[in-house]
Parts: sequence; C-alpha cells; structure tokens
Amino acid sequence: MSASARPTHDAATEPYQPVFAGKVLEELQSLLGRYPTKQGALLPALWLVQRQRGWISDRDMTEVAAVLGLTPAYVKGVVTFYTMYHQHPVGQNFVQVCTTSPCNICGAEDVVRALLQATGAKELGATSPDGRWTVIEVECLGACGFATPVLINDDFIESVSPEKVPDLVKRYR
Amino acid sequence: MGYPHKPHAKETKVLSKYFGDPEARTYKGWVKRGGYEAWRQAQTLAPAAITDLVKESGLRGRGGAGFPTGLKWSFMPKDKKKPHYLCVNADESEPGTFKDREIMRWTPHALLEGTAIAMRAIQAEVAYVYIRGEFTEPYAIMAQALAEATAAGAFGDLKIHLHRGAGAYICGEETALMNSIEGKRGNPRIKPPFPAAFGVFGMPTTINNVETLAAVPPILTNGPAWYKKMSLSNPKSTGTKLFSVCGHVQKPGNYELTMGFPLKDLLFELCGGMRPGRTLKACIPGGSSVPILDRAETEACLLDYEGAVERGTMLGSGGVIVFDDSADMVYQIMRLARFYAHESCAQCTQCREGTAWTTKILERILAGQGKATDLDLLLDLSENMTGKTICVLSDSCAAPVVSGIKKFRGEFEDYIAGKRKPVLVA
Amino acid sequence: MANDVVNLTIDGMPVSVPPGTLLIEAAKQAGVLVPHYCYHPGLPVAGLCRMCLVQVEKAPKLQIACATPVAEGMVVDTQSEQAKSARMGVLELLLINHPLDCPICDQAGECELQDFTFQEGRPATRYSPDYAKRFNPVEDFGPDVLYVPNRCILCTRCVRFMEDVTKEPVLNVSERGDRAYIGIHPEARLDHPWAGNVVDLCPVGSLLSKDFLHKARAWELDKTASVCTGCSQGCNVTLDTRDNVVVRVRPRPNLDVNRYFICDHGRLNYRWMNRGDRIEAPLVKRAGAELQAVDWDEALARAATVLRGAGGRTVALASPKLSTEALFLTRELFAGLDWTGAVQIVMGEEAPLAGVPNLALRPERAPNGTAAQLLGYSRDYAAALKAAESAAVVLVLDEPEVTIRTAGALIYLGTVLPDGARDAEVVLPIANVAEEEGSFVNRDGRVQRYFQAKPAPGMARPAWWVLAELLTALGRGESLAGPDAAFDRLARSVGAFAGLSYASIGALGKPVNTAVPATA
Repeated sequence: MSASARPTHDAATEPYQPVFAGKVLEELQSLLGRYPTKQGALLPALWLVQRQRGWISDRDMTEVAAVLGLTPAYVKGVVTFYTMYHQHPVGQNFVQVCTTSPCNICGAEDVVRALLQATGAKELGATSPDGRWTVIEVECLGACGFATPVLINDDFIESVSPEKVPDLVKRYR
Repeated sequence: MGYPHKPHAKETKVLSKYFGDPEARTYKGWVKRGGYEAWRQAQTLAPAAITDLVKESGLRGRGGAGFPTGLKWSFMPKDKKKPHYLCVNADESEPGTFKDREIMRWTPHALLEGTAIAMRAIQAEVAYVYIRGEFTEPYAIMAQALAEATAAGAFGDLKIHLHRGAGAYICGEETALMNSIEGKRGNPRIKPPFPAAFGVFGMPTTINNVETLAAVPPILTNGPAWYKKMSLSNPKSTGTKLFSVCGHVQKPGNYELTMGFPLKDLLFELCGGMRPGRTLKACIPGGSSVPILDRAETEACLLDYEGAVERGTMLGSGGVIVFDDSADMVYQIMRLARFYAHESCAQCTQCREGTAWTTKILERILAGQGKATDLDLLLDLSENMTGKTICVLSDSCAAPVVSGIKKFRGEFEDYIAGKRKPVLVA
Repeated sequence: MANDVVNLTIDGMPVSVPPGTLLIEAAKQAGVLVPHYCYHPGLPVAGLCRMCLVQVEKAPKLQIACATPVAEGMVVDTQSEQAKSARMGVLELLLINHPLDCPICDQAGECELQDFTFQEGRPATRYSPDYAKRFNPVEDFGPDVLYVPNRCILCTRCVRFMEDVTKEPVLNVSERGDRAYIGIHPEARLDHPWAGNVVDLCPVGSLLSKDFLHKARAWELDKTASVCTGCSQGCNVTLDTRDNVVVRVRPRPNLDVNRYFICDHGRLNYRWMNRGDRIEAPLVKRAGAELQAVDWDEALARAATVLRGAGGRTVALASPKLSTEALFLTRELFAGLDWTGAVQIVMGEEAPLAGVPNLALRPERAPNGTAAQLLGYSRDYAAALKAAESAAVVLVLDEPEVTIRTAGALIYLGTVLPDGARDAEVVLPIANVAEEEGSFVNRDGRVQRYFQAKPAPGMARPAWWVLAELLTALGRGESLAGPDAAFDRLARSVGAFAGLSYASIGALGKPVNTAVPATA
C-alpha cells in the first residue's frame, strides 16, 4: 500500500530501458542454468536489477516477470518479502546498522545517532539532502561479536563505535 | 579486530584451526593443509558407508536443532528415482550467532569439502549454498574458493552453487530456505512432507548447517571414534562446537570447545569475564531463540545439548549473548521481540499478530504506561504463540519473554509501578 | 474392505472415511464444524491461519485439522481445553487489528470471523484501545473487486485461488509480519473472467463485490438454489433476493459441474431477472384494436382456437432459457402437426478456469440448448424464421431478438413484450427463471433443477403451466400440478430422460442419456 503511494517509476514519460540487455542479460542467462526452473533465478535476477538501478521499480519488476515467465504481482510479493531489495530510490551510500539486542547492549544506538549526524541524513530511512546517504537500522547482521557491525553498500565494517564514525563517513565522501 | 583471537589452551581447535590463516582460504593452501583428503577418501566409499561413519561419530546438526546428521542423511531415498539436492544453510541470522560467517571467511574449502562429501552420501548432484544477503565478504570468499576448486576439478560432476539471500531471518528455517531458492517468499512450509521426500524444487533434499558440514571432513580423516571421544559430559553430545560469544564480555568472539564444556569457564576464563566493575546478570546460551538463563543457571550450565536442556534452555546455535548488571532486561527483551516481529513471515496468525502485540506491550511498559495485568497477558500470549505454528519463530519470540518475566520479574514490575524512569516515549 | 475406509473417533463419535481424508472433512461427518479460515476445500491446503487446531490423542502438540490426514484408530477431541484455548487465542489475535465496523461491512451476517468468534471466542479483547489498529486504504483491485485491507486476516485464499485455480497469480502477499497485506502489482488488474470468486472465498469483508456493495445486509437475503443461465456449463448457483429482487448470484458447490466457483459473466448476469417492463396480464388482439388485457381463461381459449385452426405448417421459436418442461410441452402442443422448432443460441468467447478440468464460461451463452436438442429443436434459427413466414401458426417463446414475419397467426409466450410480438393474436405472460421451478440440461447432458426465488409479476405464470393448460384446453391432457408432473410426463415419453424422475434429480442434478437419438 505504502509502496504504491510512492512514485513507481520516475521515467514513466521516458521509454523504459530494459535491465536485461547485453552483458547483464548474459549474466542472467548463466544464472538460469543453475536452477531447474526459471523462477529459481528470481532472487539473483533481482540482485542484478538492484545492482544496475540502485533500486527495483515496479516497471523493473514487470521486466523481471516477463523474463522469468512470472507475473509482475508475483515478483512484487517476493520483492516486498526481502528487506534488502529497495522498493524506492536510496542514497548513493546505503548504511545499515545492526541494532538488535547483542549490538544494542554494546552501544549500537549511539552508533546510529553518530551516523545520522555525520552523514546529514537526519532521520532513519530518509536520504540526506545531498542524496549521498541513507541510514537505516536493521535487525541482526550476524556479527554480534564485532559490535557494532555496519554495512555500507557492500562493505561490511565491524566494530564501529561512535568515535570511529566521522572517519568512516569521510572514506565514502 | 577481536577475532581471530589467540587460541586458548582450553579450546579444541578442529574447525577453527586455520582461522586467521589467509593462505588456508586458497585451494592450494587448503590442499597443503591436508584439505580434500577426506573428499578423496569419501569418493572411495559407498554413500551408505559415509553416512554410517557420520552416524557413528555422533555429529548433530549445529544450526540449532541438534538433529543427528547421519540419521538425517539416511532419510534420503536409497533407490534414486529423482534428482537429489543438498542445501547448505549459510543464512546465519540468529541474533548472537556468527560462527558460520567465520568458517566461510577463513576456511571456505572446509565447507566446500564437507558439502561434496554430503552430496556423495545423499547422492545429490546439485548443492545450493544459501548465504544470507548481508554476508558480502563471506560470499566473495566462498565464490573465490568455489571457482578455484572447480577450476582444479575438485568436485567432478557435482555442481555447487552459491545462492544469495536478500534479508530475511526466516530463510534460515529449512523449508523457508528451500522456498527462497525456488524464487518464492521465504515462507516455511507445513510438514509433512519432509524435505527428504519433498524438498527444494519438490525433490528429495537434505539441508545441513555450515558448521555441521565443515565438521564432516575431519570426521572422515580422523575416524568417527576420534570425534565421538570428544565429549566432556553427555555421550550423546560429541565433537567440538563453535560458540559465538557476544555482549558484555571482555573478549567476545568464536571459541571452539569440546561438547560439555562449562559455560562459566567459557565466559570467565576464555572470554576474560565481565568488564571491570561489572557482574554477570544473564546469559542466552544458544542464540536469541532460547530461554534466558540467570546468573546461577549460567554458572551451572554445561555446553552440550543435554546440559542446556537441564538448565531449562537449549544449546541452539551456540550463540552466547551475555548481559552484565548494566543491562536493562526489559529493554533487551523488547529488542528481541521487535526482531521477531520484524522477521515474522506473516503466515501464522499467532506469529504475525502475536510478535507485534508482544512488542507493543513491552514498549508500553518501557514507556512507563504498563498495567499490572500486562505480565500475565504477556505470559498468556506467549503460551498462545508456543507450539502452535508452522515453524518456531513464534516460539522463539515467546522464549525470552517467558523466561525473562520468570527470572527478572522485578525489573518489569519496577517499570509498571513507576519505580523506574521510562526509557521510551509512548 | 479394510483399505477402503479409515475408522476414527471425533468428539466421541465414530466416523469411517476414505483414507487420505483430512480431519477437518472427517469432522463434518461427525457433525463437527472445526473453525477455519485459510482452509477451503477448493484450494490447496495452506495450514497457516492455525484456527483449526484440535487435540489428537498421542500427538505431542495440537494438530491443524486442515492438514492432518485421518489415521486408523485416531482419537480426536476438538473440544479439549487446550484446543479451545488455542483457537480462542487465534481469534483474539485476528481481532486485534480487525476494525469493529461490522455495521457498515457487507460481510456482516455471513462473516466467518463473526461466526467463529460467536462460537468460540473471548467476550472481550485484551488489546489495549491505546494501540492504533493497522490501517491501509481501500484499494480498487479490478472491475468488480474492492480490497479493504483493514479487515484482512491474511488467510491467502484469494492469492491461492488466483495462483492455483486461475493460474494467473495477480494477487500476492506483500511485505511481511504484521505489515503484510494482499497486494497487486500497480500495472495489474484483478480482471480475470473468474476473479469474482475471491469475494466469495474471502471469509471476512475484505474483498467486496462492487456490484453488491452496500446493497443489502446478509440477514435480509433469501437464498434459492438455482442454475446459472449465462452459458451451457450449468454452474450451480444461489440466487440471493431481497424483497423479491435478485441482488446477488453466488456459486453453489457442485463437484461434478462447477466445484465452488462461477465466472463473472454468470455472476453479474441477473439484472434482467428484475426487469420492470414485464407483461403482467394475458393479452389478446381484438379485431382492429391493440392488444387488450384479458383473464387467463379467455386468453387460453383464444390461443386454443388459433391452434385448433392450424391447418398447415407450425413453427416454434424458443428461447434456450426456457425450462426443459416448457420445451417438452411445446413439442407436445404440436404433436401430430407439421412442426419446426428452433432455439436461438447466442455465441461468445470461451473463458476456461485453468485449474479446474471441464469448467469454463462456454461459447454457447444458453443454459438449455442441450434439452432443446434432445427434444428435437433445431439450432438453425434463421431457417425456422424463414419457415415462419409461410407458417399457419407461429409460437414464440420469450423475447425474440428478431422481428417475426408470418402470414399466419402468432402466439407469444413471454416475460416482456418486444415490438416484434405486438402483432400476436395472443400474448401469454410467463415467469422468468427466478420466478419458477424447472430444469435445464447442461452441455454435458446433466439435468439440473432450479427453484423459485421470487414471485412472478401480476398474472404471469410459469411456461409449463401455460402450455399444460393450453394442452388441456385442446383436450390433450390434464392440468399439471407442478413442474414435477411435467418432467415426469417427459421422462415417460422421451428416451433420453427415461428412468429419471423430477424428485430423483435432487439438488445436484443427474445425467440424462444423451446417446438416445432425439425424437421430433
């Protein structure tokens, strides 16, 4: 519901450029060989879309559905199940901070505050005015012994403390 | 940072022997360290013989349930009529648990070798290693290792594929994981049918945890008797296990211990005890889904399947979360409930609605607006959420709530009575 | 024999059922309705609402009756304290986010959430009124379906229907946990020709028919078993009437014909049953005058006179919505005469329900073409029209879509008076399908009964009565007491119906013998 209230595809007026063309299509085709059904390649196909687009629009879901012989509604049901697929555009740097109990007792909430401040993202889930940062809290990142783990894009950074945040953010400037 | 720590004398390094040794990540390096010898041996054995060896070793599933691995393998059809699959559960997501990540980061070939052996034992030609989406680094290392081993022709005709998850705790549940591989929502399936009859893509499937499979090669090379002998307490719990320790200890990290090792010694000797001036308050020994232990129970608990049960909890995944006296148990239990509410797949009513309601009640208590009846309500709600759903996510949410109220009731009552300053805004 | 049945005990009642039967179905045989939401016999088992938890002796945990097959010697207690408490727990949880808007909900009165809460539930909720309930706006899913997410209990019957029965997964479960809702892709519409079934399947008022929206309260409806007139499939339906107006058509389960479903064409094909411009009295043409209303005696006598004088070819042009009984009696009327009978069958596109074998909206948009064929009516309507031009007597049965030209006398039996029938000597008002009892024979040769849902307007009478009275007036038979007598007379004289009786057709129909050649 909330998703459909958001802009679905900002390029509604422009012609749609397919994700699966050229090299990306080849990548998808090699993925198809791994699964006995086309549907099996859905999660990896969605990863490819997100890699290419930064997020997965409704129009992209329609393309994935067509390529894999599924319906767009089915694809959307799957996309919305998995929290790592973005259903709307996010900042250039997407920051996920673990705040589940083991990290929480080690000060994860302070790390979140520090990140919001250093990036200028202001609030969780919002993108900073310069479009560079989106910070979200996530549930367990599976590195509880290295509290607080932070995932910036595909970089998994362990043992982040509030003091380390400013330098960390600088690295992505 | 933090890990790999220096081996402690009381550890038994089998799985973690090469943690911290970057060369062990390479195919050549692994072979040099005796790797793929077990796989070579396995190829000379009949599938049933491999299964028998694993049965004899007493190896039990390290993902949480502790089901005997050899027995699980033996459920697969003997006369093969359809494709068989192996699923490798590398969707490590249980709060407090980070051992599989370490295995994949440092000894990816141990997992691949164990995978190949298991495939032979269950007559599978395809295996999917389901790695949670957030594990970017382990995925890259596994991909590299798989490419090297495949290039070296290590697995013959066997096909091993990596499958990346996309952010869903519940995909660690075996049937949800299979649905996820099939390109579906990660909904757990009703059982029966069980995976050995109707698993991924509807075919006979076995699913094993990363640590379980990594333990298989040393069992083959050293013999089941060697493995079985590693048992400090109950003979039904054999071998070594990685314990991930996190929270309020001086030295968090993964520690490999022989089954039956005292939890107290793990925390106070290997992990260096609490921070200065702090005392142990509580411990969740098997990942967030198992009941919380208070201090006395923690100090009396032996780390094996039976030892944990004896203290009213479970060994689970071996994710040990430690709370010192600074921890607000009400707040932490709320965080755990919120985790489960976030991760509920939305199928079963008790889970979908119950985890969210539980969280709301806990949040209200923390906001200073709890009612005297809230604790009974939480307990009754937890009872409704236990043993009644497709999978155990709902039970997992109830476990810390029930044990928390039982053991730390005073903290809840203080919030409700207004004796403690609210920490949340209503 | 031992393998043919499984014996078990449910709430102390011994039950014998075929192996593989699910507990929830076996319980019905013991007279026990185990509460359930996600389970529906026409859909694959999901086992997720957890409402049907029951106690099974020796099982460590409560079992869901919808996914547990029976076993020999099983002892089931649906009323154990544990089972009752578990179900009450589920109900409480289903209700925490469910709005208390029954007064404005179309489902009220036929809502499974109301029913089972009444049967099993807690009198009061423990959910604090301080907590906001889940809110999502109403969504327009398709031509006839609205989604009210606030009332949704996520049973997924609709999703499974679209996925497994229509094979067009247009609906999904979106998001997860308590944020989940039934979703549809913004570029998709729920416009499958069978999509309306999701409204019936929805156990609560979450999926609503726009056509029925706020039309009536469920408890005001009278329900009458009927047969859909939309095509030759013969789907069993229920006509819901309110104050003698048909307001809704819903499927009536018949595993041999339509299982639990009907198509949208059939579902929405009822407005004509409520037409206001009906003929309410018999009419006869007086010399040099317009048609004038008369009583039945005069009208029948006039028609009999016309028929008696029929000295040449006779033609009957019949609607394929006419009952088997009326089609038969029409033929009887012309017995011994030079007779041509034809039905006019409108054709359309076929719309199969992919997941159910032999179920489709059929191209023949006529419910009783098969009976007409068995009774010797031709489908060549054009030829019959041509023959009518030179016929001595033409009998038209209901609403001809073309103008009848004839040199002879025209007798018209109909519900409404089209221009083409204004030249008739006699006009005899008849009841429509909702106003009479009778039978149709579907394309598979299954004769099925429909029942009277509302009174016929004015002096209109069922066609079988009118035709039987005409026969009596002609001195060829006795008055018939009801359609049963008409059918039984038919069964005695037409080979295809031999051995059948009206009573034996029952509520679900019986196959006729289509191998017997039609007799003219």
